Amino acid sequence: MANEVRFDGKVVIVTGAGGGLGRSHALLFGSRGAKVIVNDLGGAMTGGGRSSAAADKVVAEIKAAGGEAAASYDSVEDGAKIVQAALDSFGRLDIVVNNAGILRDTSFAKMTEEDWDLIYRVHVLGAFRVTHAAWPHFYKQQYGRVVMTASAAGIYGNFGQANYSMAKLGLLGLSNTLAIEGRKKGIHVNTVAPLAGSRLTETVLPKELIDALKPEYVSPLVAWLCHESCSETGGLYEVGGGYFAKLRWERAKGKSYRIGRTLTVEGVKEAWGAIAGFEGAEHPSDIAQSMQAVMANVQAGPSKGGNDLIDVDLALGYEYPERTSRYDERDLSIYALGVGAAADPLDDQELALVYEMHGSGFKALPTYGVIPPMNQLMTMAKEGLTAPGLKYGLDRLLHGEQYTELLRPLPPSQKLTHRSRIKEIWDKGKGALVVTETKSYDEAGELLIVNEFTAFIRGAGGWGGDRGPSTEINLPPERPADATTSEKIGASQALLYRLSGDWNPLHADPNFAKAFGFERPILHGLCTFGYAARHVVKQFSNGDPRYFKSIKVRFADSVFPGETLVTEMWKESDTRIVFRCKVKERDKVVISNAAIELYREIPQPKAKAVPAAAPKPAAAAAAAPAAAAVPTSDDIFTAIGAFLKKTPELSGKVGKIFQFKLTAPDSVWTVDVKAAPGAVAKGGSTPADCTLELTDADFMGMCTGKLDAQKLYFGGKLKISGDIMASQRLEFLRKLDPALVVEAMQARGAGAPAAAAPAAAAAAPAASTGPSSEDVFLALTAYVGEHPELVAKTGAVFLFDLSEPATQWTLALKNGKGSVVRGKGEAPDCTLALSEGDFLDMSTGKADPQKLYFGGKLKITGNVMASTKLSFLQKIDPAWAAQAVAKLRGAMAAAAPAAAAGAAKPPAPAAAPAGGAKAGAIFAALAKRLAAEPGLAKDIGAVVAFKVTAPSAAYTVDLRAAPGSVKDGAAGDAGATLTLADADLAALAADTAAAQDLFQRGRLRVDGDVRLAQKLGFLKGLGA
Amino acid sequence: MGRKVNVLGVGMVKFQKPGASEEYNVMARKAARAALEDAGIAYDAVEQAYAGYVFGDSTCGQRAIYEVGLTGIPVFNVNNNCATGSTALLLGRQAVEGGLAECVLVVGFEQMEKGALGSKYTDRTNPMDQHAAVMSKVQGFNEAPPAAQFFGGAGREYRWRWGTKKETFAKISEKARKHAKNNPYALFTDPLTVDEIMAAPEVFDPLTRYQCCPPTCGAAAAILCSDEFAQKHGASRPVYIAAQAMTTDTPATFEADSMIKAIGYDMAANAAKKAYEKAGLGPKDVQVIELHDCFTANELLTYEALGLCGEGEAEKFIWAGDNTYGGKFVTNPSGGLLSKGHPLGATGLAQCAELVWQLRGTAGARQVEGAKVALQHNLGLGGACVVTVYRRD
Repeated sequence: MANEVRFDGKVVIVTGAGGGLGRSHALLFGSRGAKVIVNDLGGAMTGGGRSSAAADKVVAEIKAAGGEAAASYDSVEDGAKIVQAALDSFGRLDIVVNNAGILRDTSFAKMTEEDWDLIYRVHVLGAFRVTHAAWPHFYKQQYGRVVMTASAAGIYGNFGQANYSMAKLGLLGLSNTLAIEGRKKGIHVNTVAPLAGSRLTETVLPKELIDALKPEYVSPLVAWLCHESCSETGGLYEVGGGYFAKLRWERAKGKSYRIGRTLTVEGVKEAWGAIAGFEGAEHPSDIAQSMQAVMANVQAGPSKGGNDLIDVDLALGYEYPERTSRYDERDLSIYALGVGAAADPLDDQELALVYEMHGSGFKALPTYGVIPPMNQLMTMAKEGLTAPGLKYGLDRLLHGEQYTELLRPLPPSQKLTHRSRIKEIWDKGKGALVVTETKSYDEAGELLIVNEFTAFIRGAGGWGGDRGPSTEINLPPERPADATTSEKIGASQALLYRLSGDWNPLHADPNFAKAFGFERPILHGLCTFGYAARHVVKQFSNGDPRYFKSIKVRFADSVFPGETLVTEMWKESDTRIVFRCKVKERDKVVISNAAIELYREIPQPKAKAVPAAAPKPAAAAAAAPAAAAVPTSDDIFTAIGAFLKKTPELSGKVGKIFQFKLTAPDSVWTVDVKAAPGAVAKGGSTPADCTLELTDADFMGMCTGKLDAQKLYFGGKLKISGDIMASQRLEFLRKLDPALVVEAMQARGAGAPAAAAPAAAAAAPAASTGPSSEDVFLALTAYVGEHPELVAKTGAVFLFDLSEPATQWTLALKNGKGSVVRGKGEAPDCTLALSEGDFLDMSTGKADPQKLYFGGKLKITGNVMASTKLSFLQKIDPAWAAQAVAKLRGAMAAAAPAAAAGAAKPPAPAAAPAGGAKAGAIFAALAKRLAAEPGLAKDIGAVVAFKVTAPSAAYTVDLRAAPGSVKDGAAGDAGATLTLADADLAALAADTAAAQDLFQRGRLRVDGDVRLAQKLGFLKGLGA
Repeated sequence: MGRKVNVLGVGMVKFQKPGASEEYNVMARKAARAALEDAGIAYDAVEQAYAGYVFGDSTCGQRAIYEVGLTGIPVFNVNNNCATGSTALLLGRQAVEGGLAECVLVVGFEQMEKGALGSKYTDRTNPMDQHAAVMSKVQGFNEAPPAAQFFGGAGREYRWRWGTKKETFAKISEKARKHAKNNPYALFTDPLTVDEIMAAPEVFDPLTRYQCCPPTCGAAAAILCSDEFAQKHGASRPVYIAAQAMTTDTPATFEADSMIKAIGYDMAANAAKKAYEKAGLGPKDVQVIELHDCFTANELLTYEALGLCGEGEAEKFIWAGDNTYGGKFVTNPSGGLLSKGHPLGATGLAQCAELVWQLRGTAGARQVEGAKVALQHNLGLGGACVVTVYRRD
């Protein structure tokens, strides 16, 4: 049999192996190469007598089948002798199967002490003694397997087997703890509860059934649990008649009462559903998990109390389900009208609150921020979704206070996500205060609005709880108000306001209002709130609602539509106004303890996160239009899948399963690099060795080599759980062929990265020579001059670091009018490094920026995000650019003919040898240089060997005596051998890299005299 | 000025590879009992205990010391990365010096896992993130063990500045093995040649595997006491702590863009300067040194930080044999972290034990002739450095 599970070299003790299950186990072990101690006392089923015949017979059977076995006739109560027999016969011990057992079935009433004791001694004491004698050997060799034999009688109980049930479950307890004690030492202990036809079951099962329950149906499980490759320990299994299954504990979710609560019998009775119901049950598998529920209750702290109406322990901190809502200009306008805005339709500032085509832009009235969350809370209440522990009816509830804060001005339309929770509960004696907080997030997931609704619950206090803060805040100062606004509220104002969502008949139905003791329908408190805020904004922020930060009010009394609202305002600082509202006709304070805070500057929305950010800057930076599609993480994973298929040998090297949990947007991927050829699957059903959590954008950065996994990890942006060290094996991701990503994109239908992109900044080709990068930058100079607004829009300085030939251009769009200068100008925020050729290919649409980026030919450093702002380059009209260049060149030619002549000539292309390697040209040029400047060798006076990689080549530069020489191949007797990549050698020659930096980074290895690596000046300027 | 602090007794267990050792509490108990026996006192006389370890849940110190005795004394758990042991020693010294205790037990232990050091907590700011940021800026970050990148990077920087041969680093490992051969407590006692060391797999240029200290399990302990206590217990001329200084990072670590600074060169130099001043001694007064050779590169740098040789002279110093028997100094007669092993919490105390034996003249085959003044240097990234001067009159 292929992959047969073998026990060669292992020594196993099977107790009670003279017949039934034990014999079957012993025969199986024997047939699989184990050396078997067949232990059997040869006694009767009920424990009397002894004989060697049973054990001898099984030993003979094993031997007859070609196995090795020896007999042991000792009682399990002499366990040490059985273990000694194994050591004497075979020199070691690996496995103990505690199988021996007897029966003394009798009803409990008739059970004698002897019945009880005998069963205990054979099953429990016997298993203890055998295992205990074996344990030190297992411990020492750091390996062992133990199986206990339990029974359904122990697990579930069985009439007439009280003694036997006790013993069998006792073995499970023993097994559970031995599994824990043995785990670190490679000792695994499991328990089986077999149902088999044997001597013992003959007494309880009918004959036909016993025939179907062959012992041979049990032994394979026992054998597997004893195999070295089986990692199970501490398990319990039911087995028999061809059926195998593992058991575990299940625990009801249960009921917790906070510490300090008076616990009553009635309480237990009432909570019986939770205590004994298995909905949402848990499966604790060790003591720590078992204690979690208790510990969680203890750690939740002492009870905060409560009464029939409010249970603080249950309610406080409750989080309502997340809800979403939408609004647009229409909702904002209806609200603004509802709180009296634009009563004078010629008031330009107020008109902006209700007219979506207003010349200076539609503006949202900030107090609208209370409406969507309020409506959500009311909808949930209507649906019957209330916080647990809040058992009062809405009839007790009065809106006491309101706090609303905007993190920035409300956009004219938005989808909001609301997260609400019970933030505070205070016992005010007669009543209670319940504070519900709602945080509302915009579509980008940024927090936009915070609300706190403070409800006064009449008659719900008095449980002796915390009264909460009692300081009176926002009290008006003694002096007369700094400003006062008086406004008559329209008679139908409540009818208008209710269109924003508060449909309570109290505000519309005269009869309903009367029933509540009001002579006519009253105005919504939040309507008065909107009036007041409007008044303050008009007085103190020039009528521009975008400076509004927050409002806090206490509702002191009702207002009737048609009354005159007087808002008195005191300026406490530039950003804080305390106010109070009265009804003029009745001289009653209706809003007290109120204040509005303003922002000094209008807060700006956060820059939108660019999804899958990594490749996009490349596209934009390329100065070529990014009609090119952007690869997504899906493409990357598809590419990884293809890559794994192509490189099956990776699985052997990596040998791990990784799970990626990406966020923003969320996705889960499993990358299995364990079993060849490796596979990639969406979702996370396979258990992973190592789980990595990071944002989609950071993942892309990692795969494109722009971000370093370890750096992300240290920066807290990458969370790794499981086998952390395994994450280091993800280096292979960097070797991902960009072509595979492109294929994945094409397969997705994203279209290949556009090669047909029109030249953006590219000037018209100059005659037959083609444009140079200089042309492109000249065109840019003209463009920037004509578009001064670019500075405000872009706000960054870019350095284009071109190579072959090396030129640098600074595109400064941060200060003043912006500029394009040759060389390093202002300190760059973002540096784009690529070759002249690639730059031109990109700008003429011949090369794709993404391919260059993935291929490492375009490098972006510094503020990578800033490079996205280069997209304006796409808008430059090539025809216009050509004209601009011609003009500029003309001007330059007039000023300095010689220089212009030089510049007009296209730069000599780098003498790029076949395959793109530069080393050949560099060393050829060096040979010429040495001939021309024989003095060069003098400074060095040594032999320097170069081992060039990617592609490989070797050169030896002998500078011991003038004029020096260059030879192919690396000489063994060099003073120093320098190992570096072709590209780095070229960079050294071009003086765009420093030898010291390459050395420190490990990209330049120096074997031998490191000082020679500090004298590589002779390479400078070669090969260009 | 505080009181003189004597090292009345020391003890340690043989260092082992991870997996082959006893559990931390057993190792610590054995080391502590050995120190008590060496001091000739009973545990009852100990008034405070300081337990140093890095890996383990809280109060491992109590768990270990409870095996020695349950006298209800204060037990302090000390954690300071690789400088843990000497940090615990410093705390114990302060207690005795300040008159707060007559006799304290200091024990350091570590039960390490196989493989390079890694981070245990992934859900919070890594304490080394600022150091890592420097490294990342100066030389990038790759898949090699982070500690090897730190110290190897410092080695590269040194090499570039002084033109040092790679073999010079290997030479330090060769010496370490030679010394360890005579130390029954050491983990690696087989000698290695420079060629073998150079030929070993490279961990991080210029460091090969034999130039990196191994993860180790072990424990060591010391009994510190006042003069009065020593006299009462009949100790004649015990070894004492002549000076001790501890330093942590300064802005230079993070601002100099230098790997040598990032791995605590300044911490070491500053601590040494303070210790010499306090002791009224200089490097030339020292005969024997236990210093923190977690990697060969750090031993080399530490020669200069401790003033054993001038700046840029380490290579000459090494090839002249001035770091071994017959030379100007003997550094790491115990075999050092490289060969004896580096159980983080135990290292500072194992260094102490070696130097006490050296000053008593009981170091057997490892004995440095005429050892009167000994210097200990124990460094942890993160960071902390403790330099201690021991004497015996």
